[in-house]
Amino acid sequence: MSLTALMSGAPLAVGPFVLGAPLALLALVALPILWIILRATPPAPKSVELPSLRLLDDIDPREETPDRTPWWVLLLRILAATLAIVGLSQPVFAPAGPPDAEEAGAVLVVIDDGWAAAPRWSDLRGAADAAIDGAGRDTPIHILTTAPRTRPIDVAEPRTRQAAARMLDAFDPVSWSVDRVGALERLEASGIEPGRIIYATTGLTDGTDGAFLEALANLAPVSAYVAPPRGALAISSLIADGDGVGVTLARVSDDEAQDIAVSALTLDGSALATSQATFEDGSLETVARFDLPGGALARVSRFAVTGAQGAGTTWLWDSEDRTRRVGLVSAGQTAQPLLSDVHYVRRALDPFATLIEGELADIIEQQPDAIILTDVGRIPAAVQEPLIRWIEGGGALIRFAGPRLAAQDDALLPVPLRRTSRALGGALAWEDPQGLDAFAESSPFAGLSVPDDAVVRQQVLAQPAADLQSRTWARLEDGSPIVTANPRGAGMIILYHVTAGPDWSDLPFSATFAQMLRRSIAAGRGEVRETSEGAFAPQLVLDGFGRLQSPDATAQPLQAADFATIQTSEAHPPGFYRGPSGTRAINAAPGVRLSPITDWPASVRLLGDAEAQRLDLTGLLLTLALALIALDLIIALALSGRGPQLRRAAAALPFILAGTLIAMPEPAAAQLLAAPGEEGLTKAEAAAINMRFGYVRTGDTELDQRVEAGLLGLSRILYLRTSVEPVRPHALDLETDALELYPLIYYSVPETADPLSEAAASALNRYMRGGGGLVIDTRGGGNPSAESDLSGLAEFLSGLDAPPLGPVPQDHVLTKSFYLIDNYPGRFSGRRLWVEVPGDDGRIEGDGVSRLFIGDADWAGAWAIDERTRPMFSVDGGSIQREYAYRFGVNLVMYVLTGNYKSDQVHIPALLERLGDGEVDEDTIDLDEIPSRIMDGGP
Amino acid sequence: MTDLAALRSEAEIIASSLPALGFKSTASEAPHVGSAGRRKAGTGEHYWQHRRYAKEDDATRIDWRRSAKGDDLFVKETELETARTALFWCDPHPGFDWRGGEGRRTKADEARILMMALGTLLSREGDRIGVLGSGRTPSFGKKAVDRLAEDLATDQSGSFPPPPRNAAFAVVASDFYDALASWEERLTPLAATCKEGILLAVADPTEIEFPFEGRIRLSRPGEALRRIIGRAETVREAYTTKFKEHRAGLEKLATQIGWRLVTHDTSKVSLEGAARLKTAMESFGARP
Repeated sequence: MSLTALMSGAPLAVGPFVLGAPLALLALVALPILWIILRATPPAPKSVELPSLRLLDDIDPREETPDRTPWWVLLLRILAATLAIVGLSQPVFAPAGPPDAEEAGAVLVVIDDGWAAAPRWSDLRGAADAAIDGAGRDTPIHILTTAPRTRPIDVAEPRTRQAAARMLDAFDPVSWSVDRVGALERLEASGIEPGRIIYATTGLTDGTDGAFLEALANLAPVSAYVAPPRGALAISSLIADGDGVGVTLARVSDDEAQDIAVSALTLDGSALATSQATFEDGSLETVARFDLPGGALARVSRFAVTGAQGAGTTWLWDSEDRTRRVGLVSAGQTAQPLLSDVHYVRRALDPFATLIEGELADIIEQQPDAIILTDVGRIPAAVQEPLIRWIEGGGALIRFAGPRLAAQDDALLPVPLRRTSRALGGALAWEDPQGLDAFAESSPFAGLSVPDDAVVRQQVLAQPAADLQSRTWARLEDGSPIVTANPRGAGMIILYHVTAGPDWSDLPFSATFAQMLRRSIAAGRGEVRETSEGAFAPQLVLDGFGRLQSPDATAQPLQAADFATIQTSEAHPPGFYRGPSGTRAINAAPGVRLSPITDWPASVRLLGDAEAQRLDLTGLLLTLALALIALDLIIALALSGRGPQLRRAAAALPFILAGTLIAMPEPAAAQLLAAPGEEGLTKAEAAAINMRFGYVRTGDTELDQRVEAGLLGLSRILYLRTSVEPVRPHALDLETDALELYPLIYYSVPETADPLSEAAASALNRYMRGGGGLVIDTRGGGNPSAESDLSGLAEFLSGLDAPPLGPVPQDHVLTKSFYLIDNYPGRFSGRRLWVEVPGDDGRIEGDGVSRLFIGDADWAGAWAIDERTRPMFSVDGGSIQREYAYRFGVNLVMYVLTGNYKSDQVHIPALLERLGDGEVDEDTIDLDEIPSRIMDGGP
Repeated sequence: MTDLAALRSEAEIIASSLPALGFKSTASEAPHVGSAGRRKAGTGEHYWQHRRYAKEDDATRIDWRRSAKGDDLFVKETELETARTALFWCDPHPGFDWRGGEGRRTKADEARILMMALGTLLSREGDRIGVLGSGRTPSFGKKAVDRLAEDLATDQSGSFPPPPRNAAFAVVASDFYDALASWEERLTPLAATCKEGILLAVADPTEIEFPFEGRIRLSRPGEALRRIIGRAETVREAYTTKFKEHRAGLEKLATQIGWRLVTHDTSKVSLEGAARLKTAMESFGARP
């Protein structure tokens, strides 16, 4: 560190640090002076009041020397000053250091800004920033970007550090590829001669960059910072087949296995599905499968790798890929549309394909992907020729058999047919209807499930031939072909040996039929589409980070014919293009093959991550200094007695801690519902001593815990609000435990419950006859459209003496036994509660009090609290509904405990009125209520 | 300042736990005739009742104005007034309405409680009580204590009030931290009218012990008097000596004007102070 260097004000390197303004360090000289001043200044005196101050009037204190400033306060202040001074000298942590030779000349910063740079753009830009920071104050900086732009940054223009940094900050990657050859041309045209070159690159090669690197290395010493994308680089292709979509992901390095999530997004960005793909160790490609129904697929507009940003990891999906156009030709109209063949084909293909119906000749002109003929016998000769041309061009002709085809056929069949059809089953047939055999591995239908209930009653038969076997896609159990196919040119002719409707077979009823049909279309599909004329205008384009945006002025319309050969560029960025025949997409990285650059020229110095980064310490140090000064202020206040009373606060601390400990040790619910005096008692004895609820142990631990928590919550509410003070609930085994000790037993029925055993059922019967209350909750109320369905319970509760049940009447005691309520919500609202209703004899056993409560609102879930009394599960209507659920619980318990007491109580006003005055209007007396004694005792 | 009602109830409690006042006979009657009504006919200034004329009455006692309204002759009687009057005064200086720490009453509040307790006892005896310089006539009964409390709480103008017209007991509560000479100047005219009186000196423990350490800046409330002391612990001994000397001087002043000095400390129980105040008052007239 020479003094001249210091005085020049140029950046100064100290170890891994670079000081931007080293002159500020001169202020460090002032620190000792500061030390002396601080030592001399006494702390502010503590201010106190004393009314008897007069008494001190004539006393002279013997010693007026003030307290010394405590040494640690001194240290704190000196430290703050030091930090501030060092901070003002603008230190930067930059391990790469400044240039070795300041005189070396201009710095050239080359940065890759193609789509592959987006995932690690901040790293690349950081490296470029670091290079710019490291340059001297007056060193000119040139910037070269490798992606082609219509208005590239002028390489020849020298920039200052600040201008270059600002420019980089405003810079984003583009969504097309880099063109290093073009960049090299621009560099050579500019004629600059840099002193050194910093290359921030993705390090991915397309094969053309060897010359570029060589040229750079020849021009000046090159330091390269390489940041290849981690994880998936790009979505390179997409394959749509009958069942869904497969998205192929590519990556750069095959070092280790990686899991990648891919989302299917709609145009407005909501995710319809997510799929997981795994890069195996050593492989560069993987496929993410999306098995989506056709309707959902139709809404997908793009696939994106989750968590990655970049145009490469986004795949735009256009109508071209998505929908197949299928022509549909029927032999004749049927009076009953539901029985027509076309109806079944239409339903099978509906969301999946665009259907064109009409005359065969017209359809062929529209060049669909496939044409389906249902029971068309002989195709007119005039149409045959264009039809054959279309098939050979890649079309799939799918034909269905039928009476007409059986009667007369033509050359457009995969196999020659016998002139009759074969009927299976029926009164006059020997054979039974046949089911489908499993699909062969080689068949395009491989993997589809075989419908076991679909039988074929009639079919057309192929004439035996040597190659029949290879042309068969599906066969019956007896081996006769049911679907045959034969390629013709680039296309395919497929024949279903049954009708498309249900006349000959049950096949059209099954889901497999739709999948078979789709695969038939997909299998026959060739790339024969005549590209239509017309221009496609950019509608939405991808930016470098993979976001869809409105195109700017530089994006140009595209001729339809150019789609196949298009090279993405600023004029034609990846995106959706709208044209006369729908929207088509251009993707950033179709079929991408990029590999890391391995053959770096020997003179290129590769920078590590740490070297390329830098950390500006100015703000950090100044903030720290400020924090220390603030701390000093607080300390000074405390010392002078004006601040917070530290000593008192410190004295209070143990109490606060102790208080917290006292408050914390036992969970609130446990404390509240503690059952004293039960130590050493058996369960039955404990239940006899303290009132508590029971719940049936189901064997499903999670469910049991949930119900226990629910009863705990209800018990707590009862404890807090009513004079019912239950303790912790018990789990009960119906067969062995003494049920009669529990006023209420809650039974949350698991989904897969075996029917009650005989012993359990008879125990429950005994329990209910004895007056116990049994609550059965199926927790099935989550589906708001479904009525409370108890049919499943019937089997489960077989053996239980279920009385006649009905929904709770309006004026039932349950609605007024504690709170006035009118519904019985649990976690689900609006569910019905079933209780005993008067049977045929008009009475309910046991004094008219229902002993059985059945519902599906999941009350226990709504009541459930954890040990800190926090609710455990969400409730449909939030806390208000939870409150109503609790009220229902309270009413239920009150009803179980007090029976019809409340029902009497509510009549008291009426009784009093009758007792009171006897002025009851004659007209209002109900004849039924006149005591019979009077009638009998008449004169 | 503390709630007046709280002070009042505290005073009531103290008063109810003290025995009734027992004055020396010499102190009770002679010097104080004409002070308070005794609720019976006798010598006094205020009207008490009319009664029928009796033979033994002097004819000059007939109230002719009343008798002219009817046929009977009436004699007007006045109420017997033999009671004492006690006048209280509480120092309004901000330094007196001050406390040295949380959990204690201010000195002024403490003094008010003690004086109200004494006032309650006195009014039960039928003696008149009032506040010196309040402008209200001293009275007795339950109302009187209320008025005493109100007047004690009202901030009086800063100057020491002039002596009353009639002789009375006087209780002067303060911390007496002003110069003794000035107190002598204030009390001498009062003592000329009120032969018997008490100086109630209330102090805060802080003022007695001087518990400060280190560098402090002392100030007297209500005055721009400030003083910085480098090391408070070095002057503590001198201060406590000064404090004792001041108390001795106060005692001397009290004796000089024929009064008694009662000291109280706000950290002590109020009842104790009240008991000593009562004892001091009961000793009136005991000295020649």
